[in-house]
This record gives sequence, C-alpha cells and structure tokens, in this order.
Amino acid sequence: MSREILVKAKIPGAETGIEVKKTICLICGAQCGIDAYVKDGSLVKVEGTAENPVSRGTLCSKGASSRQWINNPERVHTPLLRTGPRGSGRFMPISWDEAFERIASGLTKIKEESGPESVVFFTGYPKWYRPFLKRLAHSFGSPNYFTESGTCFLATVMANHLTYGTTLWPDLKETKCILNWCRNAPYSQAPGYATYLNAASRGVKLIDVGPLSTTLSAQADIHLRLRPGTSGALALGLAHVIIEENLYDREFVENWTLGFEEYRSYVQGFPPKTTEEITGVPAETIVKAARLYASSESASIVQSPSVTVHHTNGIQNHRAITALIGLTGNFDRKGGNRVIPESYYHTPTGLKSREAEFEQSRPWEEMAPRVGQDRYPLWCSMMDEAQATALPFQIQSGKPYPIRAMLGFAVNYRMWPGSDFMKEGLEKLDFFVDTDLFMTDTAKLADIVLPSCSSFERRQLTMYSPRYAVWTEPVIPPVGESRSDVDIILDLARRLIPHDSLLLQGQEACLDWIFEPSGIKMDDIKKHPAGCFLENLPPIPYEKYRTSGFPTPSGKMEFTSLVLKNAGIDPLPVYREPAQSPLSTPDLAKEYPLILTTGARLPMFMHSRMYRVPWARNLRRDPMVDINPRDARARGIPPEGWVMLATPRESIRVKANITEFVPPGVVNMYHGFPSADANTLIDPDYRDPISGYPGFKSLLCQVIKIQDNGGNK
Amino acid sequence: MSQYAFSFDVSRCSGCMACVVACQDQNDFVADETVAFRHVTKYEEGECPSARISYFSLACQQCGDAPCIIVCPAGAISRRQEDGTVLVDRDLCVGCHSCELACPFGAPKFPEDGKMAKCDLCVTRRENGMKPACVRVCPAQALDVGPIEELSKKKAEKASIAILKSLIFVSPKEL
Repeated sequence: MSREILVKAKIPGAETGIEVKKTICLICGAQCGIDAYVKDGSLVKVEGTAENPVSRGTLCSKGASSRQWINNPERVHTPLLRTGPRGSGRFMPISWDEAFERIASGLTKIKEESGPESVVFFTGYPKWYRPFLKRLAHSFGSPNYFTESGTCFLATVMANHLTYGTTLWPDLKETKCILNWCRNAPYSQAPGYATYLNAASRGVKLIDVGPLSTTLSAQADIHLRLRPGTSGALALGLAHVIIEENLYDREFVENWTLGFEEYRSYVQGFPPKTTEEITGVPAETIVKAARLYASSESASIVQSPSVTVHHTNGIQNHRAITALIGLTGNFDRKGGNRVIPESYYHTPTGLKSREAEFEQSRPWEEMAPRVGQDRYPLWCSMMDEAQATALPFQIQSGKPYPIRAMLGFAVNYRMWPGSDFMKEGLEKLDFFVDTDLFMTDTAKLADIVLPSCSSFERRQLTMYSPRYAVWTEPVIPPVGESRSDVDIILDLARRLIPHDSLLLQGQEACLDWIFEPSGIKMDDIKKHPAGCFLENLPPIPYEKYRTSGFPTPSGKMEFTSLVLKNAGIDPLPVYREPAQSPLSTPDLAKEYPLILTTGARLPMFMHSRMYRVPWARNLRRDPMVDINPRDARARGIPPEGWVMLATPRESIRVKANITEFVPPGVVNMYHGFPSADANTLIDPDYRDPISGYPGFKSLLCQVIKIQDNGGNK
Repeated sequence: MSQYAFSFDVSRCSGCMACVVACQDQNDFVADETVAFRHVTKYEEGECPSARISYFSLACQQCGDAPCIIVCPAGAISRRQEDGTVLVDRDLCVGCHSCELACPFGAPKFPEDGKMAKCDLCVTRRENGMKPACVRVCPAQALDVGPIEELSKKKAEKASIAILKSLIFVSPKEL
C-alpha cells in the first residue's frame, strides 16, 4: 500500500509518521479517553481510547470535534490587557510576567483596602484544577470561592445530605431495576448510554421519568412523563402506593429511619388520582411503576445531576425522590444505591484522601461570611463554597460588604439566571481577570485575559469510578503561549501567598499529599499512559450503616430532617408547585400558558462551549425552541419558522423546532446561545429558598409567531 | 468474494451524530464543514402520548447492483473484488454529477474540488485492522461493519436471545 494512501487514511506507524498518544476529552464531565493522532506536532485526528472503562473507545459529537475545538480561531494566544471599553474586545498582548505582576498588585491592593473577602474566585468548567483554586482563595484569605456546580450538581448533594448525611450512587452492575429520573444520558453523557442499553438487554427493567421523549424513554418498560417541576409530587405518589400496598422495607424503616409516621401521614395526600392531577402521569401508570420499583429484587435510582433541583422547590423535590431509596430498603444494598466515598472532585472511588483538608487551607471561622450566607445559611453550613446566584446581588448592593474583584477561570455570565444582570455585575467590578481557551463574550469584559490550554496540551490527573486513574502528559504543544490552569494558579500563588509551602510544592506533590492516606502516588499512575485500575485496595462493603449508622444528627435516615427543622424549614420532603405554573399562578398562565424548561442537553453542545466549533455547530445552526406539533398548529407556526419566545421578563427570537420530543404545553430551549440567551428569560431571583438554585426547568412563557419569517423583527 | 456492509441498530441510535463528525474528522472535511459521508435523519410518527421518535444514520450502501457504476460516463466508479466496496477513482472523475442523480441514497458528495467523493467503508483502515471511523466512535454501539453473512448471523442471534428472554424470564407461569 502506498505511503500516500496510508497518510490520507491516517494510519499510525513509522511509515506515515503518525503517532497515537493518550489524552482525555474534557469538553464535558464524562472525561472520555482520547487517542490523539499526532503528526509532526499537529493533531490530525482523534479517536476514543479502547482501554478507557467509561468510554470504551467511543466518543460523542463534541469529543469527535476536538480538532476544531483545539485549533480554533477564537483561541487566546497570549495574556491580554484590555485597551478599549469593557465588552469591546480591544486588548493588547502582554507578557506572562507583566500579567502576573498586574494581577498580584491589583488583588493585593484591593485586599488591603477592602479585605480579602472583596476578592472572589470563580470557576466554570472543567473541574480538574478546582482543589488548587479553592486553596488559593482561602490561603489568600477570601471565603468567596464559587463554582458552576453551585448552580448545577451540588444541590443534589445537599438534598441527599439532608436525608442521609451522604451521597448515593446507583449500583448499575448489580441492579435488577433502574429508575432513571430526568436524565437523558444519550445526550448528556453519551458514552455512558450503552450501560443502560446493555442492562436492558440483560433483562434489567427500566423506568424512565421525565417530560421529554428520549431514546431511553422509548426503550423503557414504563415512562412516567410528568409535567416539569412536579417530581416531588410524583415521588410522593409512588411512596403512597408503596406504603399502601405494603411494599416498603419494614425492617429498614423501623430500625434505621426517623420520622416515618409523619412521612406516611404526609404521603396520604398523594393518592394516584391526586398525583395524576398534579403531574399529568396517569394513575394506573404510577401504580404500575411503584410496584415494579418496590418489588424488584433490587432497584437503583439514577439521579440527574441538576434537572430535579432546578426548580423553586428543587431541594424538597429531590429529597422526595431519594426518600424512595430508604423506603424500599435499597440504601447501600447490592443493586440499590450505594454509599461510595468520593475523591478528586466527586468521583466515587472509595479512596481515602485529604482533598477537603487540602482545599480548606483556612477554616471558615477565620474568614468573613460568604456571599449568600445571609440568605442561604444552610447552603453555607453544608456546602464548601459560597452561593454563586447571590453574587450579582451583592456586587450591586455592596451589602454586607463590597465585592470589588474576581479572579475567574472559564467564567460564563450566561450560566446565571437573568444573565444580563450578572453581566452588569461583572462590568461594575474594579478588577476582573478571566482565564479561558477562547475570547468569549465574558472574557471581553475582563481587564486581563489569561490564555489557558486544553486537556491535550497539559498534564493532569483524571479519576473515574470504579477506581480507574489516568495521568496525561501533553500530546501537542500548547496553542500560542497558553498554559495549564494549575500552572497559572501556582504562579499566582508564588506572588500572592508565598507562605503556602504545600501548594508551592507543585501539582504532583500536592496530589501525592492528597492521596497519601490511600498510598497512591502519581509516579505509579504515570507508568500507564492509557490509565490503570487502582488495585490492591480494600473493597467497599455494602450496608455500612449497620455498623456505623448514618452521618445525620439522629444517626438515622431522616424522612424528617433535623437540620431543616432547626432552620425553621419544613422537615418533610414537601411538595410545592413551581413558583410559576398553571396551578400556582393561573392569572399569569392566561398570558403565558406554556411551561418553559431550559438547559436540557443537546448532543452536540455543552453549555455555550461548542457554538464556535463548526462541526458541532453545523449539526444545529440556529437557536431553536422545541414545541409540540399541537401547540405549533394552534399558533400557526410553520416548521422552523421564526418565533418570539417570551416571558414577563424578556423575549428572544428563535426558530421553532416542532417535535414530539416535548409534550403538549411544554417548550424546551437550549441555553447559552449567543444570539438568543435563554437565561435572560428568567428572573435572577427565581430561586429555590433552601439552596439558592435557579428554577431553570419550570416557569411560564408564550411562543408567538413572527409574521415576516427570517426578517429582523 | 464476501460483500462487506454496515449494519445499523435503530433501537440503539439516539441521533447524537457522533458518526457524522467522526467521518468529517477522518476525511478532513474542514473547508466545507457541512460535508460528511454520513447523514442522520430524525423521523417522528404519531402524536403524544403514543408518539415515537427514531433516527437513521445512513451512508453509501455499497449496492450490489450499483446505479452509480452504471451511469458514470468516465468509468470512474468500480467495485473492489475483495470485499465488494464501491470505489471512485477521483483522477478519472469529471465532476458531472450523474452518480448523484442516479444514487437513491444521496451518497455521492462533491467537496471543494468538484469531484465526487463517497464512503468507501474506510477501506484503508479496515485493511490495517481498524474499524471505520463512524463505527468506532458510536457511543450507542448502533453501527457495525463486516461481511453481510456475519452481520445477519449476529442480528439473528440477538433477536433469538431477546425472544428467549421474554419467554423464560418474564412470564414463566404462562409457558
């Protein structure tokens, strides 16, 4: 075969000069293994890493687009100093030294004038460098460390901690029944999707919950297609059947739970007929699902990382869902939902680590109160960060103290509810540093932009469940002068916190220190370029509560949370209608009769990260709202016709994607689109009162046909 | 000769379109990022609550009686003896688009140089022990490639096991 043909087909080998190097994709959180095909220092192709236990050699449309994501014309090549007005995009290149000097002196000056708490530290995606950034914030003296997880995943952790004192992971390998609650894995974590399909082909029963008609709901034995925002009522309705029909686990409930009688009495209010009226799920389907879930030999609930907590009753809805785990005795039982201690950014590996100790270099008591602590005291007492949704309010009010500077990594103001309000907040800061791969609309607001590099261009540790670890080295040179986020943090630490001797020892030394209790060393992981299973570690037993109880105030699973009770909040997982809904605000619903749900994943996008990547963007060029054919007909909307998607707060111009993906009465809009930002539709104060989380997934809207299709109305 | 072909499991496909992008990455469709040898189509049938949404990922079918071979005036399209793959010799192609008119599947593409290009089942990759890029990438494992006899055998076994499982495990008392 001629060399030319081999080169064209990108066959690796000495003849073509193409080398396969191991790295990972961090466009989303699935962390799929990547085989990077590299020729003369350039990336010529990507493929999934066959050895990776999570992605098994596959990728999704985002990961497959890696080449255009990395070699993207919008990459930032050097540190930049803003020369024009905020948002103008006018910058001039400066050296790394100058950038670090300016940042160090700017932040130090503000710290001296207004206290370290007036400097906030924020990180968007990804997650791998977060322990380093949190330590930097606290060593600097600021309690105000925020992550995007503070509006995404962490409220599910909070809900589970309120009831169980711990988080819970589905035991998918062993289970006989999967209750998949509002999680469209084929789109959100595509490589994990095969796990469900393969389970179904083993005979595992699948119950799918969610308003959307997905590939999983089509495969499911039962699909509970509920109205957005009513998960809590549905869960209580399932509990009603389970208790009425004596399908609950008496031994577990009697010995290991608190408040069962109050819970039993509360769920009396949710018989199948009433639950049908609230949720829209037929009563007989609810009964069928409750019987299947509760009478299976074992059953696992797959929780969504955010969908169920993105409601104004999010925490309590989520508590109602996971209460079913204890009720049926599936807690930490084989095939149920397991307790697996997490390490290195919420990876359930069961490894002992000093991650929390590493991050919390200064105790909370020695720092000022956190942003959001006045309004969300429970969030701040239970979670290890400030509450991001409160940030724009404090920037504007200056109460209880002024916020003057942000050191940001991958900040995206479009993730906030009422995103324009957060944008105004960033514009008001005295000093804003953003670190990103790309010149994003948020980076354009910064005083200094630092170029970070992709996972292909840096060294990092990645961990997977169950107990798989990879250490990756750069597979291509960095684009321009871009650098690894951790290297940037360490260089800033040298200038800002020279007293932090542990952090200054560097990336590997810090990770060795964190994993010292497990005896894991980075040098050992590095020996396996595609990663390795961490062997010879003690197995994680089931039913650990039988010897150690529950890490809750009562030592039991709490149907009635003592933490909530002491905070003056209803201790039961009560159901409340979304703050905007056809039932709770019927007058508003006359003008805005459709339920708007935003942020459900599309396969080619990840928040607003992929819009600039042509291969991904071409799969869906325009901002589109999903609307059911019945609702489109009633409004005379033609396929792909332009419409206004309107809420009382704002309206955006989008195309109509007429589809049965959404049920009648519900419309679904993807978020973060630069020309049609769904989060401008939502009031910045439309939030869950316990967690502070935005109610992204249930509010009211109207869709109006634009007469002059394609015109600029 | 053993005829090679793709197989596609419609029950697994979620319409994620990774196959489309993997094809573009493999074949360097960077000048016009809309060109790919794979096309994913969504189809909806019925109305809520009984609506069904399905997806189909289509590429060149490597037809047994390929109309593109017959109509090509330049004799640029031929069948490879070893595995039945339909190949185009781009040096001979005159860019007349006859194959595009004749093909019932929309397989022939015309990148920026105006000459026909189409899916060749990643013939060079297969000869080097690798699967086609679209098959390798598919997170749902809905795509496969192989001699058609082997693919049919796999499908027959899968269907038989599904039938057996429903008979043995679901309703034992009714047997």
